[in-house]
Amino acid sequence: MEKILLKNIDNPNSADINEYIKVGGYGSLSKALNMQPKEILEEVKKSGLRGRGGAGFPTGMKWSFAIADPNFPKYLLCNADEGEPGTFKDRPILEKNPHLLIEGMAISGYVLGSEFGYVYLRGEYPYAKDVLNKAIKQAHEKNYLGDNILGKGIRFHLAVYQGAGAYICGEETALIESIEGRKGQPRNKPPFPVNAGAWGLPTIVNNVETLSNLPYIVEAGGEAYSKTGNKDCSGPKLFCVSGCVNKPGVFELPMGTSLRDIIYKHAGGIKDGKKLKAVIPGGISTPVLPADSIDCAMDFVSMPKAGSMLGSGAVIVMDESVCMVRVTHRALKFFEHESCGKCVPCREGTEWLRKILERIENGKGREGDVELLSDVAGNISGKTFCPLGDGAAGVVMGMLKHFRNEFEEHVKNGNCKFQI
Amino acid sequence: MITLTINDKEITLDKPLTVLEAARQAGIKIPTLCYHEALKPYGGCRLCVVEVERMPRLQTACTLMAADGMVVKTESDTVSKVRRGILEFLLINHPLDCPYCDKAGECELQDLVNKYGPTVGRYIEEKRRVPESHKDEIFTRNMSRCVVCTRCVRMCGDVQGASAISIMGRGNRSRMEPFSAESFNCEYCGNCLTVCPVGAILSRLYIHSFRPWQVDKEVETICSYCGVGCSLVAQVRDDAIKRVIPRMGFGLNKGLLCSRGRFGYEYINSGERLKTPLVRKDGKLVESTWSEALGIVADKLMKVKNSHGGSALAGIASPRCSNEDNYVFQKFMRMACGTNNIDSISRTGFAAAQKYFEDLLGQGTTANIIEGLKNSETIFILGGDPTAINPILGLAIREAARRGAKIAVLGNAKGLERFKTLQLVPSVFKEADVLEALLNEIYNVKGLRGENPALDKGIRALYEKAAAAFDMQGFDNLKKILLDSASTAVVLGMDLLQRTDGHRSLFAIAGLIYLLEARLYLLSEKPNEQGVVDTGCVPDMLPGGRPLGIHDFKRKFEAAWNGVIPENEGLTLLEIIEGAKNKKIKALYIMGENPVFNLPNESFVSEALKSLDFLVVQDIFLTETAEIADVVLPALGWTEKTGTYTNLERRIQLQKKAVETSNGMEDWKIIAEISNKMGYRMNFADSKEVMDEIAKVSPLYRDLTYQEISKGNCLWPYNGEPLRGEISEAPAVFKTANEYKGDFYLAVEKPLFHSGTLSRRSPALMKIYSEPALKVSVKTAEKLGLNEGDRVQFFTQIGSKEAIVSIDESIKDNRVYYSNNFKGNGIFSLLTFNIDKLTKMPGLEGCEVKIKKL
Repeated sequence: MEKILLKNIDNPNSADINEYIKVGGYGSLSKALNMQPKEILEEVKKSGLRGRGGAGFPTGMKWSFAIADPNFPKYLLCNADEGEPGTFKDRPILEKNPHLLIEGMAISGYVLGSEFGYVYLRGEYPYAKDVLNKAIKQAHEKNYLGDNILGKGIRFHLAVYQGAGAYICGEETALIESIEGRKGQPRNKPPFPVNAGAWGLPTIVNNVETLSNLPYIVEAGGEAYSKTGNKDCSGPKLFCVSGCVNKPGVFELPMGTSLRDIIYKHAGGIKDGKKLKAVIPGGISTPVLPADSIDCAMDFVSMPKAGSMLGSGAVIVMDESVCMVRVTHRALKFFEHESCGKCVPCREGTEWLRKILERIENGKGREGDVELLSDVAGNISGKTFCPLGDGAAGVVMGMLKHFRNEFEEHVKNGNCKFQI
Repeated sequence: MITLTINDKEITLDKPLTVLEAARQAGIKIPTLCYHEALKPYGGCRLCVVEVERMPRLQTACTLMAADGMVVKTESDTVSKVRRGILEFLLINHPLDCPYCDKAGECELQDLVNKYGPTVGRYIEEKRRVPESHKDEIFTRNMSRCVVCTRCVRMCGDVQGASAISIMGRGNRSRMEPFSAESFNCEYCGNCLTVCPVGAILSRLYIHSFRPWQVDKEVETICSYCGVGCSLVAQVRDDAIKRVIPRMGFGLNKGLLCSRGRFGYEYINSGERLKTPLVRKDGKLVESTWSEALGIVADKLMKVKNSHGGSALAGIASPRCSNEDNYVFQKFMRMACGTNNIDSISRTGFAAAQKYFEDLLGQGTTANIIEGLKNSETIFILGGDPTAINPILGLAIREAARRGAKIAVLGNAKGLERFKTLQLVPSVFKEADVLEALLNEIYNVKGLRGENPALDKGIRALYEKAAAAFDMQGFDNLKKILLDSASTAVVLGMDLLQRTDGHRSLFAIAGLIYLLEARLYLLSEKPNEQGVVDTGCVPDMLPGGRPLGIHDFKRKFEAAWNGVIPENEGLTLLEIIEGAKNKKIKALYIMGENPVFNLPNESFVSEALKSLDFLVVQDIFLTETAEIADVVLPALGWTEKTGTYTNLERRIQLQKKAVETSNGMEDWKIIAEISNKMGYRMNFADSKEVMDEIAKVSPLYRDLTYQEISKGNCLWPYNGEPLRGEISEAPAVFKTANEYKGDFYLAVEKPLFHSGTLSRRSPALMKIYSEPALKVSVKTAEKLGLNEGDRVQFFTQIGSKEAIVSIDESIKDNRVYYSNNFKGNGIFSLLTFNIDKLTKMPGLEGCEVKIKKL
């Protein structure tokens, strides 16, 4: 498959604008500005592009809502707050191919009628910040950004806004609160950001990967784009594989590639010849899958049928030596730490779950603790303000579904036979 | 029309509501915790979840808008289980210290758990513990109990506009904290206390002193501090006020209070209250009996009247006293003492300005409701900081700003720093020039209205003698804002008018109001400034604003009062003081006022009063003025008596008795008894009978009864009949300001936390603001090399004082501010005054000040 997103990143100077232009970069922007925004929107709709942040919402549809809103200015926010454990798929774009994102955002801005864009960058990506800032400067100098882009009278300005280290700011309304200078906590919906987002104005929040698909869609057309991947989920997808594999890393593969292929064909199989035990397929907040369930297509439609979610495409691989109680405990420590505190079930529930898991992990589990875990997780799930709490409860419920015996053994014996 | 079904009950809404509001409207109870009717929906506690058909997840009723055809279930097994689960979550960290917690009995969490909650807990680990903070003098913060509903933070930011507190930390480490760290640096409105559902923020005024269910009674009454007249509830136990709380949605303040109203109530329980009459014997005030004291007063007043005539007597009424007190007082002065020499401290601002505007713009021109401010397109604020002088009115201005109104401020106004659109700070004493120039420019664009010959003529005359175009930063912008505005309100404080050329500003403002068709709000520091005027405690008008000079009115009152009202207009307040000084006034009766401290030039006023043959002071405390009186009569105060008050929007409200006390007598009753002794009969059984008489004789309050007034919606002009003729000529301008050459000018600070000399006796307010500071701008501090907290000495022509320096970023000019509230430390002892010939207000003089670092 021809690489779209990670094209050229092996070139050591790939982040430089001249190298990017050499391989045809900013050609799509130039082409786009000769098209009507409506035509591009049609191509995006035809392409079947779906948001790569995890929810998989059709991008063209989201954009139509924002375009239909009569208020101006409109803001285009790029969600680069890649903070979920196991997720590092956007990092190669941000660090090695920043102009692809900038070009994608400039095109999007043109389509949406937006003149101001922000990249909301994860606080822990300081290198990416420097790269992006430099790239934005170069793009301004070459007139790919600014008040009169390529002399066409089109205006689009772009700035990087760095987060302060809160996972919740990856949630789009919390991201907007944060960019406005407030504490990162999700907002009530409706109104949705497309109508009342940043500073109360129409705001489109798209993932780095989503926006980076734009240059190709403009260049090759929506139909060509939709040929990659599955019928309902088209295009390439970045998968970042970590854990007990021989070749961890980011892979650009067609949407719908099977989980088995990702692990064994692309990531080099399980390390040290061990057996696969479980996979978290889409980042820590997606339910775990046992080894026998990996023959599923990694896309937005198939994964729920397999009992999990595509999420961000962050595949965390665990071999037979991994203790699932420990994994769950570690995950809940993360969720407890990252709970924003706005709603009761998430704020108090994640703490409670972590404490129960901690005592089980430390050999101080009590009879009934596994049932308690399940009940507490059930009291969180579906009752929280935003999906963070659902994710936390989902981890526990998923683990209990497939590995309940490990938890029970821990309670009974006070320890387990696993190494990690 | 939206029709939805909740629990099989069909509900039709005539306006969009949330499911929660729709349910409440239909009498269906949905439990809530983070929801509060005064705040925007938050959706954090998740207790109000309901099942909605065709929606996959449970929905929070507080955030979900009701839609046509929606089918909602608020009580189901699923919902009950979720509620139980949420309450269990809340209790894992909430301490079960109800037997110790002051909130028990009125704690929302306690009630919810009692009704919906789990009976046993399954949580075995240690609870989160945050040490209780007692670092603040007023608030106790117990963050172990906090349920992070953020109602306090939202109240502070979105309603009060103080934004002094926030949630610090994240997740289960979240806790409310003031930005100023341990102790609060805020407006101390205490509205956070009102909304805290648990015992996380408590008032230290009553901590551990009683249980909510131990209150003997709750009395709905109004506040005693400023001219807004907020409704509040006084909770009484053992005939003492234990606590003052607001009631949400109740009164014109809709459940909001300010620091004075909420925490200032303790003065009434003060040990310094006067308890018995005092009589001067051998130069000393000694305790006496009522019969002796009243006898002396009647006797002395009669003697002066008989030997020098009624014009040698004078009375000073009080805007802190009720309409009944003031009505009886002026009747007493006119009928028993035979003089129209009656006035009040209101002459120094409100009463004079009100009269001026009514003469020019028509009667009732200041009768605009506070709530209406919120809907203004533009609010022009001048002469003071409304958020300090009339805090609840200030909140309406802040609300207007949030709704997009343009807020234009002339001069300094600290409380509007974050809300103003535009601020103009003319050089000191040049405000009248700016206002006249503004009037000329507006006239130039809009022309005259042709509805008011006097004003039309005056405006044209002013324009014709106008100097060259006016150049000042922000001036053109202000002009544009005012010209573009379809709905303008002018909020006027008295600082601008207490000048030698104060009447110039008055005319310019009247002209602006006329040309812009603006509404006028006069800030009022005392609770009954309007009532004092309405009940006739002015030298030129009888009750109901009836001019003394119109014979028919006078004759009607004489018939009703059964006697002869003196012909000539009396002296105004400052003329009375001058009269005392030059021996024209021999005897003075002061009811509830402290002129020695509250008028400029303390030594002059004090000397004048000492020159009197006889001085009676009737008050609840031994004030600076009472100390030099010949007889001191103890009166009853707030919550000790019933009476009506008329606020700045001219709403007549009932202040109710809540406690029994043997401290003193009602003001009107003392006066009635003296009157009887002097041979003029006054037979009122209670204050209600006084009101009945007022309702008979005054066209303003015609036919009003206590029952009607209790509803809180009696707004003047009650029956809308004209009270007096119109004037045909705008009053002439007499004077222009002197040229001043000082580097710095002394101005009166009107602190949010104090009011006159009453708040001195409130321990809570004294804790919040305990020592007067000299407030200076950043520039002034730099110029003089001053730091926060430095001690300085400052001098005017007539005196000097020492104070600590406080640097205030909201001061934009070379004024330095000092208050007139603290004993022995009033700014007025450093200033002198001229009497404005037209308005009879004091024009403050001698403001040039020299400051020396110590």
